[in-house]
Amino acid sequence: MPSHEYLVEMRGIVKRFPGVLANDHVDFDLKRGEVHALLGENGAGKTTLMNILYGLYRADEGEIYVRGKKVKIRSPKDAIKLGIGMVHQNFRLIPTHTVIENIVLGLKEVGFILNSKKLEQEIRELASSYGWRIDPSAKVWQLSAGEKQQVELLKALYRRAEILILDEPTSVLTPQETRALFNAIRRMAEEGKGVIFITHKLDEVMQVSDRVTVMRKGRVVVTKNTSDTNPAELANYMVGRPVIFTLQRKPMSPGKEVLRLKDVYAMSDKGVLALKGINLRIRKNEILGIAGVAGNGQIELAEVITGLRKVIKGKILINDVDATNKSPREIMELGVAYIPPENLRWGLVANLRVVDNLFLKAYRYPPYSNRVMINWKKIYDMADELIKKFEIVTPSKFTRTRALSGGNLQRLVLARELSGIIGGGVPDLIVAAYPTKGLDVAATEFVRKTLLRYREMGSGILLISEDLEEILMLSDRIGVIFDGRIVGEFKAEEADIERIGLLMAGAKVEAA
Amino acid sequence: MARYSFLGITVERRMTYSRIASILTTVIAIGLAFAAVAGILTAMRLDTYRAFGVILAVFITPRLLLQAILRGLPIILATLGLAIAFRMNFWNIGAEGQIYWGMIAATGVVLAHVYYGYLPDLLVLPTMLIASFIAGGVWCLIPAILKAKLNVNEILTTLMMNYIAALFVDYLIYGPWRDPHGYGFPLSIPFPSYAKLIFVAGNPSYTGLLLSIILAAIVYVIFRFTKLGFELRVIGENLDAARYAGITIPRVLMLGALLSGGLAGLGGLSIVSGIIGRLRPRASPGYGYTAIIVAWLAALNPWLIIPAGIFFGGLLVAGESLQATLKIPNAAVQILQGIIFLFIILGEFLKRYKISFGGGRGVR
Amino acid sequence: MSVEWIASILQGAVQIGTIYLFASLGEIYAERSGILNLGIEGMMIMGAAISFLFTLAYGHLAAILAALVIGMVLGLILGVMAVSLRLNQVVVGLALTIFGTGMSGFLTHPTIRAGVLRTLNPHIPESLLAIQEAPKLPEMPIPILSNIPVVGRAFFSHNILVYISYILSIFMWFILFKTRIGLSIRSVGENPGMADAMGVNVFLVRYLTSMLCGAFASLAGAYLFIGFHPFWQEGMTAGRGFIALALVILATWSPLRAIFGAYLFGGVEAIQYRLQVRGFGAQTPQFVLMLPYIVTIITLTSLSFESVRKRLGVPAALGVPYSREEV
Repeated sequence: MPSHEYLVEMRGIVKRFPGVLANDHVDFDLKRGEVHALLGENGAGKTTLMNILYGLYRADEGEIYVRGKKVKIRSPKDAIKLGIGMVHQNFRLIPTHTVIENIVLGLKEVGFILNSKKLEQEIRELASSYGWRIDPSAKVWQLSAGEKQQVELLKALYRRAEILILDEPTSVLTPQETRALFNAIRRMAEEGKGVIFITHKLDEVMQVSDRVTVMRKGRVVVTKNTSDTNPAELANYMVGRPVIFTLQRKPMSPGKEVLRLKDVYAMSDKGVLALKGINLRIRKNEILGIAGVAGNGQIELAEVITGLRKVIKGKILINDVDATNKSPREIMELGVAYIPPENLRWGLVANLRVVDNLFLKAYRYPPYSNRVMINWKKIYDMADELIKKFEIVTPSKFTRTRALSGGNLQRLVLARELSGIIGGGVPDLIVAAYPTKGLDVAATEFVRKTLLRYREMGSGILLISEDLEEILMLSDRIGVIFDGRIVGEFKAEEADIERIGLLMAGAKVEAA
Repeated sequence: MARYSFLGITVERRMTYSRIASILTTVIAIGLAFAAVAGILTAMRLDTYRAFGVILAVFITPRLLLQAILRGLPIILATLGLAIAFRMNFWNIGAEGQIYWGMIAATGVVLAHVYYGYLPDLLVLPTMLIASFIAGGVWCLIPAILKAKLNVNEILTTLMMNYIAALFVDYLIYGPWRDPHGYGFPLSIPFPSYAKLIFVAGNPSYTGLLLSIILAAIVYVIFRFTKLGFELRVIGENLDAARYAGITIPRVLMLGALLSGGLAGLGGLSIVSGIIGRLRPRASPGYGYTAIIVAWLAALNPWLIIPAGIFFGGLLVAGESLQATLKIPNAAVQILQGIIFLFIILGEFLKRYKISFGGGRGVR
Repeated sequence: MSVEWIASILQGAVQIGTIYLFASLGEIYAERSGILNLGIEGMMIMGAAISFLFTLAYGHLAAILAALVIGMVLGLILGVMAVSLRLNQVVVGLALTIFGTGMSGFLTHPTIRAGVLRTLNPHIPESLLAIQEAPKLPEMPIPILSNIPVVGRAFFSHNILVYISYILSIFMWFILFKTRIGLSIRSVGENPGMADAMGVNVFLVRYLTSMLCGAFASLAGAYLFIGFHPFWQEGMTAGRGFIALALVILATWSPLRAIFGAYLFGGVEAIQYRLQVRGFGAQTPQFVLMLPYIVTIITLTSLSFESVRKRLGVPAALGVPYSREEV
């Protein structure tokens, strides 16, 4: 019989997305007065699970109990009514409004007229009870990231939330702000609230949680009291054992350097530093795999190399040419191919035809066009070849691109980037960001085989992936990125799963 | 947003577009609009049959049809310009102002020639063409630069530019450009014959049609066969992908704006050179705004723009005829325009989304 | 440039400015909630036309009420198309303007007008069927206050709608910034997703602001006719609805600043009329008339700078249809 000791119980939660089982019969519960960490890599299913609890998604199967009663949560409004509050990674605040205005939005109890004096008093008191000092009449854009997060928490706390979900809260905080946050969390737990803390950082789990649940590939691996475990063990659970290699990687001796990053710094879209002094290099015939949990700077890394993001400090050299802050076109012309994440958003134009997307970059170069006119005949002919060569399944080259399946969309991107229609020959550098994410088995294998093939043909490849098995399978060298820095580099033969897992989770490990 | 529902109706985005269904929807929309207007006329106890007879007559009587072509000329030209702008998602509401600048430039050339006589008579018309194009183009370029460099919303800036242009015309016509022999009326001097469209083919409508076809062909070629046309499309569909593909977005924006405004400027030329024969205030009865409707109606297709423009030109002629012969207000035609527009928009919606009944609140 | 002249200009500024004030108040609410209403011109002229017809048929009160109703109906159409159907607001707005302009010209045309008037009021006297003019709203100078030199004439010698506009602007400012409803409206225009999650009914808010905007635009048109220039002319709004759009930007979406802007625009127009009457021909200072538009463009440009936008900016979700993230 479910008792009130448990604020939340989730039983047998199943959630399917096209092509992937995000939550596979997950059980999860939260006790009163407890801080429960939810640990795992991205794609493990922890954010999906919490989105279900907060009403952003609906589970396909399973039940949720809140304070012992079975509930249906159809939207965040329902969740808020049940006393659940969630603080997302990207804050949902209105910058031009004041702190008070953000907090009391939508609350009927506030009354018709906004009585600033009274509200200010209440909010100030509430904030200070958690050790926060906030000026309620300040505009949100004036606040620091830590203070903005406090406003988000106050939003939930002011509504008397008893269950708080925090999604990777420390990703935008300074160490001091993190400490303040942990103090506040401890105080919430003491008050009898329950806090769920989504993270991939081991030290945080050890510091602040009472229990920890580790998820991997949609399943719960283990739930333990934090006092009964240690970082090494957790890292092991998080990452699991590698699968037997099914693809052969031919040993190659790397050629000359194609990419070098010297002390590169860049900002993220949120206004904090995403890259904090990155140094790395890649040579021909070599794959450098970047392991790490998503959100530690991988996208920004790919973007600075391909010209889509500004470098604020440091240098990037491509084939010994200074490519720092060059435009995407110039970088393209230096021989760089880019396989972006979320191809329908960044890399493809959904409403255009397959042939248009195949030549999205190459259209401007001879022989496909001269100074002004495009030579469609040449393009159509080449498109047929590419469709055959890269095994793209499509009714015709004139089909609207959005009709293709995920795997074929990725084949399209590969065909466009790698086939040599831009500048001829094999790309000197290939930047592949999450190239197999969301793809089925056949497509995944195709992508991996293709990358290995181009490695043999002379390309240097930067592979960003959250699939550690994939990285181990394909890379000659492995770098681990955490919090905007490369925290470890290994040759493939020396790769130690446990140490990689620890580094990915931010643990400090002595050099081998 | 692939799917949502409200009030028991579920709306889902279509995956495939059928050409036939698309054309059918447009035709039905226009038909419904006519039906609605017929309803209004009948409700007012007006002679609906004869009214539609008059409208039909415009398109089957050769003399009236030529008038329709002439009156539709500025619309066609401005719409061709809008096709370029809208294709790259640049909301050029300023076609009206660009038309005015075309008129100003054309008149300026005529005045300069009449008073100072720099050019041989034969070259006046071509010079006017170039001048109108540049004037209109520059007028559209200004908001485009603001958008490209500072991301300023072009809807509002282009709208404001319209008023500035109209006021400038007023100033010129009431001031330095007023015809000294015009008895004080706010009119420019009448254009000499070599400055009018009639000069080329004996009938301004023929000249106009020729011009339209040539320009429509050019726009068609731009869209289908040039790098610029491709880039316009990519920018209009997905700005991020355009950046990623290495397209220099500001450059394309400005070039497109120049062409768009230039064509509208030519529309202005056609008004002073073809329809009125001189410059006067309020020379454009909202052609620039009508062009927006026509652009939607013709789905930015240059070849559809010509018949659509002639259609709306014909409506203008019909409107005047209705007022003269049947005492039905000219405004009835405007109502027709507005309703056509509304129904076309609704039709757009149906083309893109599938409606089904049932489906609860929210998800699933 | 006598004192008399200044007082007369100020009075004219308020008189004409009230047109802009009503229109911009409604538009401010709509845009604050994320709806860009380009149909404002059509709604304004419909209000003017309706007020013309209803004043002849019944009287001023009926005219004002009818204008409000017709404005709400047009606003509702905008709401349905922009909010529920998520259609492009620019295009819908323009269509409504063209429709409204046409409809107003149609209903008031001499040949149609008689029939319409008789339908409204079967007992209407014959003499009223063909005239272009209607009785003006009576001027109601406020005792004592209207005797103050200059200021009295400028602010306290007007008709009742002007006085209502004073109260209304303050009221609407108060609601927008000091009440829960106003907070909801503003949040919907800045971040509808967040507002939705926190329990605000985004769709309802936008429907209501659309209807409010329509009603006020129409009221502006009604005031234009019965309060300022009760001689019907087709197209008599002359683009003032679009000018109100400019005014809203200049006022950076605040009702109080809109008051200043409205009277400023009104003042410029008043000066123009006076100069015309004085026999300057129509050699009026067009460049002065251009100023409001140029200033608006400059305002828009400066608003694009991050530092300014944070304090004063465009509602972030303006013109963007809202749909819940669906999974």
